Amino acid sequence: MAQVELSKISKSYGSSPVLQDIDLRIDDGELVVLVGPSGCGKSTLLRMICGLEDITGGELRIDGVVVNDLPPMQRGIAMVFQSYALYPHMTVRGNMAFGLKIQGAGKGERETRVAAAAKALHIDHLLDRLPRELSGGQRQRVAIGRAIVRQPRLFLFDEPLSNLDAALRVKTRIELARLHRELAATMVYVTHDQVEAMTLGDRIVVMHEGRIQQAGSPLDLYEHPANRFVASFIGSPTINFVGAIVLSASARRVGLQLENGAVIDVPADGSRLQVGARVDVGIRPEHTSVVDGKELSRVPDECRFDGEVTLVEQLGESHLIYLRMAGDVELVSRSPGHTRVRIGDRIALRAEVERLYLFDSSGIACRRLASPVLEAA
Amino acid sequence: MSQISHRTRRAAGIGRAALVHLTLGGYSLLVLCPIVLVVLNSFKTREGIFDSPLGLPTSLTLTLSGYVKVLGNAAMGHMFLNSAIVTGVSLVAILLLGAMAAWGLTEYGFRGNRLLSLFLAFGIMVPIRLGSVAILQTMVALNLVNTLTALVLVYIAQGLPLAVMILSEFIHQVPQELKDAARCDGVGEYRIFFQVVLPLIRPAIATVAVFTMVPIWNDLWFPLILAPSEDTQTITLGVQQFIGQYATDWNGVLAALSLAVLPILALYALFSRQLIRGITAGAVK
Amino acid sequence: MKQKSGWHVLVFLAPAVLIYTAFSAWPLLATLRLSLYGTDDTGAVSFAGFANFHRLMFDDHWFGAFRNAMVNNLEFFAINSLVQNPIALLLAALLSLRGVRGATTYRTVLFLPTLLSVVIIGFTWQLILSPLWGVTEKLMTAVGLGDWFGPWLGQESTALTTVSLISVWQFVGIPMMLIYAALIAIPDEIVEAAAVEGASPWRIFWSIRLPLILPTLGLVNILTFVGNFNAFDLIYAVKGALAGPNFSTDLLGTLFYRTFFGYQSEMGSATMGAALATLMFLVILVGVGAYFLLVQRRLQRFAL
Repeated sequence: MAQVELSKISKSYGSSPVLQDIDLRIDDGELVVLVGPSGCGKSTLLRMICGLEDITGGELRIDGVVVNDLPPMQRGIAMVFQSYALYPHMTVRGNMAFGLKIQGAGKGERETRVAAAAKALHIDHLLDRLPRELSGGQRQRVAIGRAIVRQPRLFLFDEPLSNLDAALRVKTRIELARLHRELAATMVYVTHDQVEAMTLGDRIVVMHEGRIQQAGSPLDLYEHPANRFVASFIGSPTINFVGAIVLSASARRVGLQLENGAVIDVPADGSRLQVGARVDVGIRPEHTSVVDGKELSRVPDECRFDGEVTLVEQLGESHLIYLRMAGDVELVSRSPGHTRVRIGDRIALRAEVERLYLFDSSGIACRRLASPVLEAA
Repeated sequence: MSQISHRTRRAAGIGRAALVHLTLGGYSLLVLCPIVLVVLNSFKTREGIFDSPLGLPTSLTLTLSGYVKVLGNAAMGHMFLNSAIVTGVSLVAILLLGAMAAWGLTEYGFRGNRLLSLFLAFGIMVPIRLGSVAILQTMVALNLVNTLTALVLVYIAQGLPLAVMILSEFIHQVPQELKDAARCDGVGEYRIFFQVVLPLIRPAIATVAVFTMVPIWNDLWFPLILAPSEDTQTITLGVQQFIGQYATDWNGVLAALSLAVLPILALYALFSRQLIRGITAGAVK
Repeated sequence: MKQKSGWHVLVFLAPAVLIYTAFSAWPLLATLRLSLYGTDDTGAVSFAGFANFHRLMFDDHWFGAFRNAMVNNLEFFAINSLVQNPIALLLAALLSLRGVRGATTYRTVLFLPTLLSVVIIGFTWQLILSPLWGVTEKLMTAVGLGDWFGPWLGQESTALTTVSLISVWQFVGIPMMLIYAALIAIPDEIVEAAAVEGASPWRIFWSIRLPLILPTLGLVNILTFVGNFNAFDLIYAVKGALAGPNFSTDLLGTLFYRTFFGYQSEMGSATMGAALATLMFLVILVGVGAYFLLVQRRLQRFAL
């Protein structure tokens, strides 16, 4: 297995920069997920690691060796493409054996390895079929099998699940995780789906507009997003933002007045902030709850949001409430189970102050102090 | 170490590019040379043509006398008109009737649909010329010998099979929802065809137009058999006869050839991108 | 999803089907039928069974002409198949490579001869190859091949080959375009996957791209076959209806023309012409049939 190091990697097409300042280290056996919206450069970065795209600047090292100019095969890499890219005119067996044939493996060795990989992926009964006779999920496995069979140092996955239907996606995701554990392989995985990223990755790298926004473990990104973008990218439904003015700031607490008038005290490192500055408070929908009518009077003003319900979505295991408050500020709240709340009701939401996020005017996060401190990336 | 491999990779890349360009360029030269030679020499006097066929016309040898002779030949203009009429009318008919037939075959299921498609497709493989004996007899019976109408009818029959096949392929790709939506709105079948489907298959129509137009314009066989009279000669036939007549008048012959090439070159320069896009888009199927 | 039928279906289909039937399908059938009739010296036509075919096959004069044309046609097809199609493949393969500068220009130029009238091409090449003008001779001497030059178009031994090569020059554009379209239809990711697996560009061409364009290559070959066995225009433009020297450039198409219209002293015979046309039809039918039955089905696995 391999250790990968990207130092100051950049990429431009002509004069337009596509990737800038990419610094990343991937340890042996890690599954790193590159995630971000369309156009953020994640696929380009993957293809550069693979060798399908030139590296304009910076160095790429695999196991300590600079591989910028090596063709893909010499980098010891296998890639699974989004559209699977199976050879239409070869059987499953042929598809899986092609790479081995090029490497010069003998017939016996090819047979053994293909059979083993096919068995592991439950496609051994399909070995003599052509790709067009297979379902999407089966083709997916053949593509993975083709990669496994070559026993590469590094696996690359380019949005492999996006062409599958929802149910199959979940199933295959679990299998990929199992595969990673079994092979103990170094894998780089690209997706735009943050749920995939959170569930699969040992570490997640959030990218936006050609730069790395943050790299860290899934929980780290959830609890300590580096900026507004990461905070709103991770978590579903998206985090709520409420504007606020700084009333007081210290290294341990920040006093704020929110847009809806409430005055709260957040446990965060506000040493960078100035009094009177405009900031954003982040409230995750799952950290809010509807205040029971009986408790209304007992909820301190400082973490209470009153408003009118504009929409209710019942998902069965949870429900979403969309609230419009004074000043036309909207909040989304998520709670478990069913609800009797209806559109038009005037209700109050309670937010847990300790779980609030704070972002300065340029979007950078202020370190939260109350939530569990996890290992830094 | 990476520096060296970078350089060798570059060198290999350049070497390969050189080979590619050598081959493509070489063959392009082979393609262009004859044409350039003809056009170049059409501007020279007889002596110039023979003494230095490969050279540019000098002040001594430059002449337009060939062109004057050809252009002065009034019949040329008439023949050009004949070609234009025959090609134009045939083309419009092939496109319209072909599109209608393609629509009829793709959209409506009726008994014998497949058989009819096969029947038409047969015409692609089997050359229409084989039936020339009977075609001429028919034209004689209909009193259409030596008329442009005869040519038009035959060319329509010749061009329909391929047109129907290509257009069917494109009509197939028109999204079902569009047609269904129109029908839900109560739009009649004719209007759906003319106002919804036809505009959507414009690229296909352009492709078929070019593919059909060129063989008709350049055809020698049917003008020879059905309409060889002076009055109805097409430009292709006309140039052929002209060359046969003035075989030794090199100057005039080269001028005639150059003139014949020019309209095609001009049209091609205008439409080449469309044509190639059309071919590569779907005609292969 | 097919719609219900109605009168409008008839309106859409009728004009095309009528014209096609009247001027393409029916004439073919009528010709086939006419081949079973004979013309006597007065010009009257009467049923004669297979007499015409008998004459074509067993009468020395007729069979000689037919066999000559048939053999020439086969040679014509062979040259086209072996020269035109590989060149087309090579050009298309080069054009489809990524990053070839000026590819569009090349494509445009290479397709040009296909558009030119056969008259232009025929005569242009006649001029160029003519010993009188001497252009070719001069060029060949310049590269040291002067001894090889000869009046190729006028020599019995070389005329057919020369005309075949002129035909290749003209028509290379069409198979080139078809093969090019098929090559660029191969999804990039498949080629990339092969590259990642370590295949060299040569290996990629042989193992991946070539197999995937086999259906198109098959199509190109059958189109060449049909076109070649129908060829007439170029021979007529270069050599005239007599297809000299000494019938060495005579193809089935020119033989058909002469049989039907007559030439010089011999009178044309519609019935013999029809018989010849029938034979040509059978040849084409056998060729196309063999292709569809034997080759096409096996090529199905290579369709994308």
